[in-house]
Amino acid sequence: MAPLLRRRAPRPGAAERRRGRAAYVFLTPWLLGLGLVTGVPLAASLYLAFTDYNILGTPSFTGLANFERMFADERFWAASSVTARYVFISVPLQLMFALLLAVVLDRGLRGLSFYRGAFYLPSLLGASVAIVILWREIFGHNGLVNDVLAFVGIEGQSWLQNPSTALSTLIVLNVWTFGSPMVIFLAGLRQIPEEYYEAAKVDGASRLRQFRHITVPMLTPIIFFNLILQTIGSFQTFTQAHVISGGTGGPVDSTLFYTLYVYQQGFRAFEMGYASALAWVLLLVIGAVTALHFILSKFWVFYGDD
Amino acid sequence: MRLRTQAGDIPRSEGNVMKNFDRRSFLALTGMGALGASTLLAGCGSGSSGAALRYAWWGNTVRQQTYSQALEEFQEANPDISVDPEFAEYGAFQERMTTQMAARNVADIFWVASPQVMTYEANGLYRRLDDIPTLDLSDYSDDDIESFSFDGQLLTMPHGVFAPVARYNETFLEEDGATLPGEDWTWEELSEFLIDYAAGNSGGRRGASYTPDQDMAFEAWLRQRGQDLWTEDGSIGFDAEALGDWFEWWRVLLDEGAVLSLGEQEGMQPDFSAVGDNILLNFGSSNHIIDEAAMFPDYKYRLRMVPAGEDASEGHRFLYFPRLAIYSGIDDDKVEAAGQLVDHNVNNSDFLKTVGLTMGAPPNPRLLQEAYEFASEDETEMLEVVEATREEDQRPRYEAPPGTGTWREALSRASESIALGDAGVSETAESLIAEIQSGIDQGA
Repeated sequence: MAPLLRRRAPRPGAAERRRGRAAYVFLTPWLLGLGLVTGVPLAASLYLAFTDYNILGTPSFTGLANFERMFADERFWAASSVTARYVFISVPLQLMFALLLAVVLDRGLRGLSFYRGAFYLPSLLGASVAIVILWREIFGHNGLVNDVLAFVGIEGQSWLQNPSTALSTLIVLNVWTFGSPMVIFLAGLRQIPEEYYEAAKVDGASRLRQFRHITVPMLTPIIFFNLILQTIGSFQTFTQAHVISGGTGGPVDSTLFYTLYVYQQGFRAFEMGYASALAWVLLLVIGAVTALHFILSKFWVFYGDD
Repeated sequence: MRLRTQAGDIPRSEGNVMKNFDRRSFLALTGMGALGASTLLAGCGSGSSGAALRYAWWGNTVRQQTYSQALEEFQEANPDISVDPEFAEYGAFQERMTTQMAARNVADIFWVASPQVMTYEANGLYRRLDDIPTLDLSDYSDDDIESFSFDGQLLTMPHGVFAPVARYNETFLEEDGATLPGEDWTWEELSEFLIDYAAGNSGGRRGASYTPDQDMAFEAWLRQRGQDLWTEDGSIGFDAEALGDWFEWWRVLLDEGAVLSLGEQEGMQPDFSAVGDNILLNFGSSNHIIDEAAMFPDYKYRLRMVPAGEDASEGHRFLYFPRLAIYSGIDDDKVEAAGQLVDHNVNNSDFLKTVGLTMGAPPNPRLLQEAYEFASEDETEMLEVVEATREEDQRPRYEAPPGTGTWREALSRASESIALGDAGVSETAESLIAEIQSGIDQGA
C-alpha cells in the first residue's frame, strides 16, 4: 500500500511546459552570450595558463612553468604590491567617505535628490577616459592643484611623475567616486527604525554615541556588501592606470596595476599564456580575499535575526 | 466566467492577426527575418564583383584624414576595388593587430610597427610581394630590393624613409645669439653646448627634452661605437658599457639642468606641443619635423644629422624604413587588387601629394625627386637630410628579433629610473639588457 500513499509532484501541464520552453527561447541570447563570451574564454584562458602561447602560433603545453615564472618576475611583484596598496588604502577610505556623506544626507537636507545625484555622478564618470584625462591635467606639472598651491605660496610638483605620489592621486580619484556605495548606505540608513534613536535620545546618548552604537551596527550588513563590491572592483582597476601612465604603469612601475601588467604581457609582449596564468592568479586572490571577508564577517556583521 | 481573454474579445481584424500570429509563427518569422537580414548584410559586405580590401594604418588625425582621402581617390580611379579603411593611433593599432592576429582576421594590407617586423615574419604573417604582377618594382634597384627582403624574399614594402636627426629651433638660436657646434659635431660638444645654452639663454629654456629612450638616436650612438641594436642572428647587438655610457650622457645633462625634468615634460613621452616652446633641440626621426613644426608656425625648425665623433665607426649612418605588408591569409582572388593598392601607395606621386610626407621621404627614387616639386619648406629640409644620409656609407642594420616587442618600453622605464635616481647607471644598463634577453629567450 505504501506506494499508493506516496504523492507525486503534479506534472506540469502542456501550457506550462510551453511557457517554460518559450522562456528558454527568449533567454537564448543571454545564454549564448554567457557561454560564448564568458564561459568559452574562461575555459580557454585556464588551458592557456598552462601553455606557452604567443597568439600567432599554436599553444604548447608547459605545465606549471608560467606560475613558476611569476616567482622570479620582479614586475609581477611590483604589480601585486601596487594593487594591494591601492585596494587596502582606497577601499576603506572610499567607504568611510561614502558613509559620512550618506549620514549627512540622511538628515533631511533640502534638495536631497539634487545632492544625491550630484554626489553619485562621479561614480558614473570616475573610470571613464575623459575623467582620467581631466585628473591628469589637474595633477600635472602645470595643473590646477599646483596653481592652487602656488597661490598660497607652496611650490608644487608633478604629482603623477613622482613615484611616491602617483599612486596616491589614483587613490584620491577612487575615493572621489564614492557615489555608488553612498547611495547604498543611504538606502540602508532609511531602514534603521527611528525608535532606536528616540530611545537613545531619551537615555541622553549624544549623536556620536548614536552613530557608534546604533547606526554602525545596524549598517554592518550594508558595509559588508559595499566592502565586497568595492574590493573586487578595486582589484580589477585598469582604465585609470592605463590612461594616467600611457599604458606603461610608470613612473618606474609605481602605477603598474595588476590588470595593466596582465594586459601588457598579453597584448604588448604577446605572452598570452603567461598573461592567462597571471589572470587566474588574480581570480584566485580575489576569491581568497572575498572568502576571508566572509569568514571575518561572522565577528562584526550583525543581521536583524542575530 | 471567462478567466482568459479569448480571441472574441478582440476586434475581428486584430483577432485574426493574433490568431494567425501564434508563438510558433512569431519564432519562425523572427528566425527568417534574422536569416534574411544576415544574408542581406553579407551581400552588402562582399560588394559587387570587384575586390573589397581592408587597409590598416596608424597616425594622428591629420594622417587619418589624408590617407582616407587618398584611399577614396584610389577607389574612384579603380571602381572595381573597394577599400575599407582601418585606422588607429599607434599604440591602439598594435593592440588591435594583436586581437586580429589571434582571430586570424588581419587587414589585407597593414602597416608594420618597427618592433614587430621580425615577430610577424617569424609567424608567417606576410604574403610574398615579388610575385604579384600588379606591384611594379622597376623603379627600385636590385640592391634596394635586396635590402628590403628577408632571406631573399620580398615580404614587406617600405613606404617611407627616416633618418635619425637632431631638430633645432633656429628662431630661438637667433633670439639668443647662440651658435650650434659645426656640422661635424660630437656628442661631447653638443653636451657642453646644451649645458651652456640652458644656463645662459634669456627665455629660461632648456637645451632639450629628456629622451634617452629615443631609439633612433640610441641606435646611432651604438653604431658609432661599432655596435648594433640587433645582430643578424637576432641577438642584442650592444653591451652594458655602451648602454651605460648613453645613460650617463643624459644623466649629466639632467643634473646640469640642460634638459627638462620628468615633471616638466610630464613623463617619458613629452608632448611636443606642450614642451616645444621650452626647448631648443630634440632628437627624433626626420619625418617628425612635418607634424611637429606645424605646432609652432612662428618658429623656424632645422634638421641635422645626429652628432658623431671623428673616431666613429665606418658605415655608422643608417636609415629606417617603415613598412607595409599584405596579409598571408588574404583570399587569392584579392591578391592582385591588393598589389595594385600597394603599388599605388609606394609608386604613385598623386597618392604622395594627397598623404604628404609625414611618413618620411619616399623610398622610390623616382618619387623622391618628384617630391621636391611639391614639398613644403619643412618637407624639403627632411628630404635633404634623408638624401644626405643615403649618400653616406651604411653598414647593414637588422630589425628587432621576435620577443623584443616591448624593448622600447623597457628602455623608457630604465631611463625613467635613472632620472628619478632610483638606480645607478651601470646597474640599470645590466638589468635592461637582462630584461631584453629574457624577452628574446621567451620569443624564441
